[in-house]
Amino acid sequence: MHRFLRLSTLLIGLFAAVGSYAVDAPQPAPMTEDDLGPAIEQPIEFPHNRHAGLRNPNDPTNSDPLKGGMEIDCMYCHTYARRSAVAGIPPLQKCIGCHQSIASVRETPRIKKLFEYWDAKKAIPWKKVHDLPDFVRFSHERHIERFISQLNRPVQEVCGYCHGNVKEMTVARRSKSLAMGWCASCHQKDHPVTAEGGKPIGNQAYWYNFQKPAADTSGGAVKAQGPNDCWQCHK
Amino acid sequence: MSVNNLLENWSQFRHFHPVDDKPHDPYKWAMSIDLDACTGCNACSVACYAENNLPVVGKEKYAHGQAMHWMRIERYWDEDDRDFPDQGAQFLPMMCQQCEAAPCETVCPVAATNHTADGLNSQVYNRCIGSRYCSANCPYKVRYFNWYDYPTDDNVWPAEMNQQLNPDVTVRGKGVMEKCTFCVQRLHAAKGAARSEGRIVRDGEVQTACQQACPASAISFGNLVDPESRVHKQWKAQQVELDKEEQTKDKKEEGGSELRGYRIFEELRPYPSVMYLERVRESAV
Repeated sequence: MHRFLRLSTLLIGLFAAVGSYAVDAPQPAPMTEDDLGPAIEQPIEFPHNRHAGLRNPNDPTNSDPLKGGMEIDCMYCHTYARRSAVAGIPPLQKCIGCHQSIASVRETPRIKKLFEYWDAKKAIPWKKVHDLPDFVRFSHERHIERFISQLNRPVQEVCGYCHGNVKEMTVARRSKSLAMGWCASCHQKDHPVTAEGGKPIGNQAYWYNFQKPAADTSGGAVKAQGPNDCWQCHK
Repeated sequence: MSVNNLLENWSQFRHFHPVDDKPHDPYKWAMSIDLDACTGCNACSVACYAENNLPVVGKEKYAHGQAMHWMRIERYWDEDDRDFPDQGAQFLPMMCQQCEAAPCETVCPVAATNHTADGLNSQVYNRCIGSRYCSANCPYKVRYFNWYDYPTDDNVWPAEMNQQLNPDVTVRGKGVMEKCTFCVQRLHAAKGAARSEGRIVRDGEVQTACQQACPASAISFGNLVDPESRVHKQWKAQQVELDKEEQTKDKKEEGGSELRGYRIFEELRPYPSVMYLERVRESAV
């Protein structure tokens, strides 16, 4: 008989073939939708915690900022967030604008490097940490408008919804997956679209892309789900 | 339910927008195209190529029917026994009609094409798997398939030309269906700007690329829900209604013949969002 056609022989051959292929082939790093991506190294290890972190509670005058943060508003540097789709990376000029007057840290390694870029008249090649795919349309302005202007929530909390607790990071790291399911998990919640008594929040009626809520006769805050149209976010 | 009843009251049976649970509020984008003004110059088509990152496929692929012109000018020869130089022709700009009951939407196996609250027929490129069923089912034949990876394999945009691509529009890869979007990226920008000011988009604030380029102003575009919009007034003047499958103009015996407004293939009941204004013929003047 054809002994080499026996099932066990074939299976062993199959495993050997697949196994050798698997060993040879370079495996791409496994990516899941919850993957936060590799750690990104920046040209200067920018200390977000020093700039945006909370002040040292034992030092109300903040005489030694090295022990606590400066509580600088996120949008002081990421200034486009409130008026455009992207948050923006501050130009080097903005860094120098403050740091030319801060003599106490002038000789530290990171600030020296900063001034090297400045003297060479070169922009710092910051790398993007929160990078959405090209087929996604995301507007910072809309979210800032909604949560900060309309709902009056604190800036750091609002930015933290997507960017995590940046005030305790040095170089920013992704702490949310930014996957579609993660976006949708918030958009599918019931959000208040009117204040108590049916008055639209920030003079904006429910119909701005929210799903129309069922008529609410109780007089309480009307709630609706966030935009869930494919074309809202996909381009 | 008799078949007659079904046919006569079709619009009540077929679930299409606007329906009570999803009203067109506050936007319903619509268009009207004056065929009497259209000179067939193709400026709209060129503008569309520039705005929407359309690949220019070249003569050979065009001959194979693989052109990617979202906006195309259809040419119809007059049949009045005159020969070519004297023979008259008519032009008809044809693009996605953004049907309210779109035949393409119902057949997509992965729901990559949907109806939006604004009354647009969306096409989500990253969801599309390229079954091409939508194109087969489209009566207007305005859906275009990427048979090749134009940006890389065909090098449609050589290195320097990448700079002219519109960053607000995806550059589509191989195996994806695409079509006219009514320049949805412009609509988004306009809606965002209006929303920041707590109002809706004003008429004339947003233009599609084809409308902007048209030297004869044959194309008008706007919000059909807004009673002040030019499109709304034109539709109303022509007694064309979105959710009817037969317009007054079609009922000649009722004296509707002076009206010019019609929609293409209304009898198929896709309820398109584009109204055409019939050309005024020499013989009728």
